[in-house]
Amino acid sequence: MDATESAAVLARARQGDSEAFRALVERHSRSVFRLAFRMTGNEQDAEDVVQESFLRAYKQLGRFESRANFGTWLYRIVSNCSVDLMRAKQARHDQTRGESLDEAVELPANDLPTPERLAESAEIQRRVQGALADLSPLERAAFTLRHYEGRSIDEISRTLGLGTSAAKHSVFRAVKKLRAALAPLRSQES
Amino acid sequence: MKHYTEEELTLYYYGEGRRRADVERHLDDCAACAKVYREIVSTLAMIAAPDVPERGDQYGLEVWQRIRHRLPEREGSWLGQWFRWDRLSVAAAAAGLVLVAFLAGRTSRDMSAPPAAGSAPANAVADSGHADARQRILLTSVADHLDRSERVLMDIMNAPVSTAAGGDISTAQGWADDLLTTSRLYRQDAVEAGEQSVATVLDDLERSLLEIVHSPSQISAADLEQIRRRIDAAALLFKVRVMSDELRDRESRPGAASPRTPIQKTS
Repeated sequence: MDATESAAVLARARQGDSEAFRALVERHSRSVFRLAFRMTGNEQDAEDVVQESFLRAYKQLGRFESRANFGTWLYRIVSNCSVDLMRAKQARHDQTRGESLDEAVELPANDLPTPERLAESAEIQRRVQGALADLSPLERAAFTLRHYEGRSIDEISRTLGLGTSAAKHSVFRAVKKLRAALAPLRSQES
Repeated sequence: MKHYTEEELTLYYYGEGRRRADVERHLDDCAACAKVYREIVSTLAMIAAPDVPERGDQYGLEVWQRIRHRLPEREGSWLGQWFRWDRLSVAAAAAGLVLVAFLAGRTSRDMSAPPAAGSAPANAVADSGHADARQRILLTSVADHLDRSERVLMDIMNAPVSTAAGGDISTAQGWADDLLTTSRLYRQDAVEAGEQSVATVLDDLERSLLEIVHSPSQISAADLEQIRRRIDAAALLFKVRVMSDELRDRESRPGAASPRTPIQKTS
């Protein structure tokens, strides 16, 4: 789909043409899934985010400004859908640990890694995933955008609808928690 | 010597922040900052981007198949919101029902009570009977509507919310959206039927339903608290409950369906 065709499809979709919207879904689904998976770290959650994001996009398409980039606009919706889903999951599981640094970084004493276990990179990844899962939804989203997606603080603030300072703070808190949570692995490695 | 904070070193790691050359020089000279920076680097180096599961060429089509029957109402201008197809069709259906009821009333009256000299009192009784039946239907419908609205308001008042993450009111919003159009139509009917106290309660209810519908689905604790405060301040739950009870009472008592004087204001 070239730029002209894309603009024409977008214009038709904005006028309520569901076939045109279908073309947008088909074109962007894979990139949406990739971001959703990085944000949520879970295939099933990512699928939920994909569907919810397109439903929201369809609902809000009338508000989309034709001068803007549809991909960027959709990217913002996916990021916020991911945060919403993670918040809902957190609320359901009453996981308040994400907001508390002290609790988030605590590792059970009897679960400290041995050199043998550390030798397995899968174990390291498991720990990393655990540490990421302990971040609050906003911290995880901001960290994902900065670390995996290479977005600047300004872009993160626009994507998540935060002030620059709040976006920066979310990334800092995430890195701080991850440093603390992964400290045992670092000491074994060094 | 001025040391750099973890925040500044994190920004430096990610290629952001000002005076990068100064940070670089400082890290060469300061062992403490260099140690913190090494920790940041080694931590973040462990966190590699996860392998994203592959999705085939047909994935976009699969997603479309999953969502195509769930496409929601489009959000447009305020004018568009008021003239949505479903609302117009509900309004048209309601208008149709009123017309059918009117014609049915006329026909049955003509058949059951043919005009005859001295039959005026009989006509008056028949008229009053039909009016009473129509009024009773309105009372039942509005009472049901108030009961449903009460449940939505209760959901909002009791929605779990955390100070940090806010709360999800999307389900209550869906119900509120469904009730909004009906509420407006019942309010108009109530005004026309001279049921001013019913119309007043429905008017208050409509405001709250509108506020719920137009709030974000993932609402902050502060915003949810504001909605709750307004519902409380208007004593809306109380009014809705009292009005519903009163309407049910009237519909069950013969001859009591006709309009009553407005209920006393509760706030």
